[in-house]
Amino acid sequence: MSDLLALLSYPFVIRALVAGSLISICASVLGVILVLKHYSLIGHGLSEIGFASLSVASALNVPAVLISTPAVIIASFVIMFVSQKFKTAGDIAIAIASSAALALGISISSLTGGTSSTGAYLFGSVLAVSDGDLIFSVILSVVVLTIFIIFYNRLFLITYNENYARSLGINTTFYQLIISVLTALVVVSGMRITGTLLISGVIILPAVTAKNFASRFKTLVIMAGAVSFVAFIAGLVISFVFNIPAGAGVILSNSAILIFVKIFARLKNKK
Amino acid sequence: MTDIKLNLENAVIKYEDTIVINDLSLQVHGGEMAFITGANGSGKSTLMRGIAGLLPLSAGRLTRSAKMSYVPQIEEADRDFPACVREIVLTGTQRKKKFFYTRCDYELANKIMKELFIYELANREIKNLSGGQLRRVFLARALCGEPDLLLLDEPCAGLDVESHKILFRILENELANGCAVIMVTHDDSDIEGIKDSHVIKISDGRIKI
Ligand SMILES: Nc1ncnc2c1ncn2[C@@H]1O[C@H](COP(=O)(O)OP(=O)(O)OP(=O)(O)O)[C@@H](O)[C@H]1O
Ligand SMILES: [Mg+2]
Repeated sequence: MSDLLALLSYPFVIRALVAGSLISICASVLGVILVLKHYSLIGHGLSEIGFASLSVASALNVPAVLISTPAVIIASFVIMFVSQKFKTAGDIAIAIASSAALALGISISSLTGGTSSTGAYLFGSVLAVSDGDLIFSVILSVVVLTIFIIFYNRLFLITYNENYARSLGINTTFYQLIISVLTALVVVSGMRITGTLLISGVIILPAVTAKNFASRFKTLVIMAGAVSFVAFIAGLVISFVFNIPAGAGVILSNSAILIFVKIFARLKNKK
Repeated sequence: MTDIKLNLENAVIKYEDTIVINDLSLQVHGGEMAFITGANGSGKSTLMRGIAGLLPLSAGRLTRSAKMSYVPQIEEADRDFPACVREIVLTGTQRKKKFFYTRCDYELANKIMKELFIYELANREIKNLSGGQLRRVFLARALCGEPDLLLLDEPCAGLDVESHKILFRILENELANGCAVIMVTHDDSDIEGIKDSHVIKISDGRIKI
C-alpha cells in the first residue's frame, strides 16, 4: 500500500492517472451512444486504423498526432456512415478495414525496422503520457462534457431514432460528425495509454455494464462514466501490483466489474 | 385556396432500381383529410416516407409545411432503449430550433398524454409497454410537434376501440384547427368516420380514380 502511495510522488504516474481517468470517462460516455446505436465495433476498427497511422507516421518520421488524428477522424465518419446506410455491411466493412489496417501497420513497421515501437503501440504505456497529452485530455473532456450538456436532448433523440430526428428537420449528419470526431479523438488519445488493441474495450465495456442497472439514458451516461473511472483506477493499481501493461489491467478490471454486475443482476432477478 | 400544406408534383420514388411511386401528384390543404388506401405492397408507406423526407424523390417536386409530424407504420427504433414514455413524447417538440425543453413543452406533453390516456404510463420504461400503448406514445409524440401537416401510417393498427375513438376525436379537432392530415388505412369505417375526406387509392405506383 505504501509502495502504491509512493508511486504518487512520480509526476508520470500523476499524469497517467489524471489523463487516463479523463479519457476513460470520455470514452465510456461516448460508448453509451455507440453501444445503443449498435456501433460497438467502431472503436475496434478505429484503433487498428490508428495503429496503421502510427506506423506510417513513424516511418515518415513525422509527429504521430499529425497523421493519426485526421486519419482516424475520417475513418470514423466513413465507418458510421457506411454502418448506417447499409446496416449489416457495416460490420463487414469494419472487420475488413481493421484487419487490413493492422496488416498494413505491421508491414510498415517491420519494413522500417520499428518492431520495438510496434509493441509500444499495441500494448500502450503509461510512461507515454506527456504534458501535452495531459492538457489534451483535459480539453477533450471539457468539450465532451459541454457537448453532452448542451446537445443532450438532440443526442437522446438521434441515438433513439435517427430517422425520426430527420423527419423533424434536425441535421443528423452534423451530430453524427460530432460523435465521429469525438470518438476518433478518444481513440487517438486513449490508445497511447491502453494500447491500440484494448482501447475499444474501454469504450464499450462500461456502457454494457451500466446498461444492467440504468433505466434512463441520462443515468446510463453518468453510470458508465463512473464505472469507467473506477475501473481505470483499479486497473492502474492492478498493473502496478502485478507488473502488467496498464491497458490490460484496465480491461481486466472492467471485465471483472461486468461479470460481477451480471451475476448480481441474475441473483436479484431470481429473488 | 392558398393554404397548401403539401404539394407533390409528378413524384417518382424508388428503392435501388424498383420504382414504387411513379409520377404521382397530390395536393392537400389545411383542414383537409386525405386517406390513402391500396393493397399490401402498393407503396403507401413508401409515399409517406417520401413526403416525410426520409426517402429522396428521383423526380418531381415536393413542397410542404415545415411543421410536419410523422407516425411511421413500424417504429424502426430499438425498444430496448433506456427511456420512459414522457422522454419519448417530449422529443416531438424538438423541431423548434432550441436545445432545451421549456415548461410549455412539458405542459403540452402532459396534456397530450392525458388525452391519449397514457399519462399514467409517463414514467414507465418504453420496453415494458404493450404494442397498442406504444402506438399511442408515438401518436402523442407526433402531436407534441404541434403539426399543421400530420402523416399517419396505419395509426389504428393495434388500437383498441376506445383509443380508436379518441384518435378520431383528436383528428377532428386538429382538422378544425387547420391541420392537414394524411392517413394510410385499410379500413372503410375509418374513411366514413371523417366527413368530406378525400380517398386516394394507390395502385401500380399511381393514383387510381
Ligand atoms: N426498404 C425497402 N427496400 C426495397 N424495397 C422496399 C423497401 N420497402 C418496401 N419495399 C418495396 O416497395 C413496395 C411498396 O412497399 P410499401 O411498404 O410502401 O407498401 P405498403 O403499401 O405500405 O404496404 P402495406 O399495406 O403492407 O403496409 C413493396 O413492393 C416492397 O416490397
Ligand atoms: Mg405500409
